Amino acid sequence: MNEYVISINNRKYSGVINNDGTVELDGRKVRAEISQINKYAFLLKLDDKPYEIVCNKLDNGNYGLLLEGWYFETTVRTKLQETAAELMKHKSKGSRKSVFKAPMPGLVLKIKKQEGEYVKIGEPLIILEAMKMENELRSTAEGTITSIHISEGSSVEKDAIILTIE
Amino acid sequence: MFKKILIANRGEIAVRIIKACRELGIKSVAIFSEVDKNALHVRIADEAYLIGHSPANESYLNKEKIIDLAKKVTAEAIHPGYGFLSENAEFIKLVEDNGIVFIGPSSKSVEMMGEKTAARKLMKQNNVPIVPGTIEPLNDFKEGIQIANEIGYPIMLKAASGGGGKGMRKVYNDNEFEDAFTRAQNESLKAFGKSEVYIEKLILNPKHIEVQILADKYGNYIHLFERECSVQRRHQKVIEEAPSIFVDDETRTKITEAAIKAAKACNYYNAGTIEFLLDRNKNFYFLEMNTRLQVEHPVTEMITGVDLVKQQIKIAANLKLDIAQSDLKINGHAIECRIYAEDVDNNFAPSTGKIIHHRLTSGPGTRIDRGIDLMSEVPIYYDPLLSKVTTWGKNREEAIARMKRALIEYQISGVITNIPAFNWVLKQKTFLDGSFDINFLDNEFLPLVPSKWKENSTKEIEAIAAIVGALLKEKETSSALTKNEVAISNKWFNQNYE
Repeated sequence: MNEYVISINNRKYSGVINNDGTVELDGRKVRAEISQINKYAFLLKLDDKPYEIVCNKLDNGNYGLLLEGWYFETTVRTKLQETAAELMKHKSKGSRKSVFKAPMPGLVLKIKKQEGEYVKIGEPLIILEAMKMENELRSTAEGTITSIHISEGSSVEKDAIILTIE
Repeated sequence: MFKKILIANRGEIAVRIIKACRELGIKSVAIFSEVDKNALHVRIADEAYLIGHSPANESYLNKEKIIDLAKKVTAEAIHPGYGFLSENAEFIKLVEDNGIVFIGPSSKSVEMMGEKTAARKLMKQNNVPIVPGTIEPLNDFKEGIQIANEIGYPIMLKAASGGGGKGMRKVYNDNEFEDAFTRAQNESLKAFGKSEVYIEKLILNPKHIEVQILADKYGNYIHLFERECSVQRRHQKVIEEAPSIFVDDETRTKITEAAIKAAKACNYYNAGTIEFLLDRNKNFYFLEMNTRLQVEHPVTEMITGVDLVKQQIKIAANLKLDIAQSDLKINGHAIECRIYAEDVDNNFAPSTGKIIHHRLTSGPGTRIDRGIDLMSEVPIYYDPLLSKVTTWGKNREEAIARMKRALIEYQISGVITNIPAFNWVLKQKTFLDGSFDINFLDNEFLPLVPSKWKENSTKEIEAIAAIVGALLKEKETSSALTKNEVAISNKWFNQNYE
């Protein structure tokens, strides 16, 4: 018997895999069998219901799952790993620094905020031109802009740090 | 008939054109950029030539190189597809001057319709109703503000040489005007090389209805009914269908007549589309003419049985139209969903990567036009359209039911797609009863992004995904297998809490 904690869309599920071919999800018990069809395709049977699954293991140890026309990104940890991760999270809670990165390569057309300005979630930060479109990038964090690492007219690579909000 | 055609495009439309060539017994010549060397359109062509580096302006937009290549490989005609050089009058002129046939209209027709203000003027002269606004480009924003006040806010700023939603801005008051004007100008300059913009009054909550026409070089014109393309995000069409359930017989007669008038006004030949806005009272206004094949042409093909690409080639080869208007009738209903490599919940960020898994949908009334196959690269340089799923039914209900079924079967992995978003759209009341207008997605879907839109529909499936996660982790821990080396890279807002 192994116990896992599965995180999807900011929700956590507890999954227990028993040796008798059953799985308990948050206490609900089903018979579960998974077969691998090719590198990415799986067939899942829950009791007597089949589901086609496509799984892509993502770089940071997460799974990208495709089923019934929906897509989920999941993080799965063993009970022990989860406890460790929780501990780490509490430890780092002191500083709420968030780094805003470029989602893709592009050209910085306009920086709409200055260092020291307070921004709310959803406020436009910069205009990035990519794929021939002007994309307004909005803040996903609330706080004060402590530093801006790019300038107008410069090109940025994907994942380049654009600014820091604290 | 031609013996060999060069296709100056990539992706699904290049593949579509190659299929038509093969059916007509014509050799197809594909061109490709460095990043596209293993692309599907290269794999299936009769001949394929490297045309340049990956950025579009060094490859698919390189007019001289493309024409030189066509001459070198003795292609008698060039099919431009859509986008890239398809509506570039200068390119078409160059093709004509080099004794190559352009599969599309004359450079003159394109010129007449390409400059939007001139086209509006031409339509007005030919009694095709246009949206109130200017028929000249604006000199500066001050003049714009004055005109906006005359016709009344809200207004639209549009690129005079534009199309496809680029260089377009809604303005609600004087305060917003200058910023919107500058951005519309900039975007227009980037996309079309010209910064001129003009004003149109914003028609409130209209539908986007367009009419497909075909014309030969002997003055024969036919229409192939309308398409309904109101499901749009930021003016980019997402779902199209034919016919429109909002268009009654009387409106259909009027709007298709107007479309033919518009085509005749610019001495048009080949396939073209006249776009209209249709208001709640079924008044319609000319929006623009697309002087090329449209992305959404399959829905028209499905309800009429006409192969538009083959017709384009035949018309270009100086053949007379072999279809009369009276031969055409609307048979059933067709819907198309555009499958984009984009991450809806990350601000619709384009998702790039390699297609590691691709299982097509199939079955009755199902058609896929695609530019991807296993191990295809989805690069950053071009439009993120991966494929188009089109379904046909004897009526709209059946077409929708088939679409829902088809999208569940369709599996793509390696990039994130917008397929889940269609699950949402296809069950909305506004979509099902046909009352939606061009603001449908902006008003009803975007407020639910990120994630809220799927909350209600995915609870049960999410639990199943959780079980899968646990089972996969168990498998991995016990045998350390299923290590996939390819990762999805798509993070628009990658937030790291340090």
